[in-house]
Formats: sequence, C-alpha cells, structure tokens
Amino acid sequence: MLVVGPRRAWIFSGVEVRYVSESLREVTTILHYFDPNLFCAELESRTKDDVLRELTDRLVQGAGVKDPDLLYDMLKRRESLGSTGIGKGVAIPHGRSLAVNELRVLFARSSAGVEFESMDKKPVHLFFLIVAPPQDKRNEYLPLLGRIAELVKEKKVRDKLQACETFEDLADLLEGKFGAVE
Amino acid sequence: MQSNSALSVRLMNLFRLQDLDILIREASDPELKSSEEKMGFAHPHLDKLQAARERLLETIDKRDLRLYQKIAKRLTHAIVPVEDRTCLGCYIGLPTSAVSLTTDPDQLLTCENCGRILYWLE
Ligand SMILES: [Zn+2]
Repeated sequence: MLVVGPRRAWIFSGVEVRYVSESLREVTTILHYFDPNLFCAELESRTKDDVLRELTDRLVQGAGVKDPDLLYDMLKRRESLGSTGIGKGVAIPHGRSLAVNELRVLFARSSAGVEFESMDKKPVHLFFLIVAPPQDKRNEYLPLLGRIAELVKEKKVRDKLQACETFEDLADLLEGKFGAVE
Repeated sequence: MQSNSALSVRLMNLFRLQDLDILIREASDPELKSSEEKMGFAHPHLDKLQAARERLLETIDKRDLRLYQKIAKRLTHAIVPVEDRTCLGCYIGLPTSAVSLTTDPDQLLTCENCGRILYWLE
C-alpha cells in the first residue's frame, strides 16, 4: 500500500516502512495497487466458475467489498463476452462494478492450473483480478490493466510470479521490475 | 445501503443493470475495444451480453426501470454513491431532508440536483 502525499510517499510493504521521494513515485506505482490481504499463493478451485467465485470471495474478505454476488455476476458476464485468459498461463478477469468503492487488485496462483477457455487453450496458473468502480476519478483502471497485461508478456516475469510464495516476494518483484526498467 | 430488504433487492437489480450497461458500453466503444484488444483481450460475444440484458430487465421493477432509463439517457451513470452527504455524481451536498428519505421504505433516493439514483457508501 502506498500513501501518496503532495511531496512524498510512504511504502508499507509487509512490516517494512520506507520513505520514497516524489521522484521515485512513478517506479513504484504498480505496487501501490497491490495489497497483502489480496494475495493468494494457492487457489483451491479447479474450474473456471469456481475460480471466479473464489477470487470474488477473497476480494470480499480481504477488501470489505459490498456484494459478492453483484461482483461475481459482473465477472461472469465479462467472461461471456470473451475469456480474459490471455494465454501463456495468465488470466486477468476485470471490469467495473458498483460492488467496489475503489480500484482493487488481487493476485492469485494455481500450481495445478485451471482450464479458463484461454486463447491458447493452456491452463491458467497466474490470475490478476482487477475491479474498478464505475467512476474512476483518477483514471487509473485502464492504465493499470494495460501495465499488468504488458508485464506478464515477459516469460521471465511469469516465471518469477509463479515462484512468488508470499506478498513480499511479489512486492520485491514488482518493485525490482519497475525499478530496473524505468 | 438502505435497510429495507425489498428496496435493497430492487436497488441491487438496478446495480446489476448498470454494471452490465457499462460492460456493454465499453465493449461497444471502438477506442476502448481496440485498446483492450491490444492488451490481448478479445470481445467476440457482445450478443451474449445483450441477451443477458434482456433477461435481467424482466427482474426489474417497471417504475425503477423507467427511472433508471430516464436518467441513463442523459447521464453516463444513473446510480452513484453518496459520501460525506455529497452526491458523487454532481458533487453537490445533499440537504438533510433528502438524507432523511433513506428511511422511506419504498422510495429509491435520487439527488435533488442531478436526479441520479443514490446509495450510501458503507
Ligand atoms: Zn447529484
């Protein structure tokens, strides 16, 4: 979680609290959307519907989302439009819903893999659930979706995501990745 | 969220409709569609969403639907939250009289300024 003030930002990554200067804000932006309560090292579900339900339930538990059924219905409908399984073992279920008051991102892994009607027909091991409220005041939702979709195109990143056992591993990866690139 | 359960069900059905309308609108917008396609997402089944919308309309109270459609015709989001007694559609503070309407068991609350349907952020 990153709390951005007018001139400075604080990063809360696990128990570590560090000060980051304004000039570094951009490189850490992606991490600020992730939350230790919205990290799942191993999904229990084995089917697409069950995974959508489990992701929904985990978001409800971890982020105090209002109505799980409303969110689940939206995600199911988004999938009926076309699978959010973008191939190479990655799915990014996403959409806007009145079920959330702010942009939420949940990361989850499945070592067994889940058949998700992906374009390349391969099972999905890495899930990013991204849900935004209808009114996205800071216009963050689509840029974030784009950055995550771009990030997972790299095999090296996917391999590292697959190896993330804890939220701290994920935080290190996201910080390291963007620290090194930008 | 209103405490009256019948009203909550009516409001929740309208929430579903707005979520679906946003999905349909974004999937039909050429610019948004192409930016999602560049990210790797395909939208081959817009027809399925239209069919789901038809089914959903049957579950919605007729008066509520008329109200929603009237607002949605002129404003992007017909349903918006209230935060700190402010309508997050038009950012105008709500008078105390409007806030007290939430206890009316049958009435969906609308903003006196912009007319949008309101719900309370928890
Ligand atoms: Zn208003």
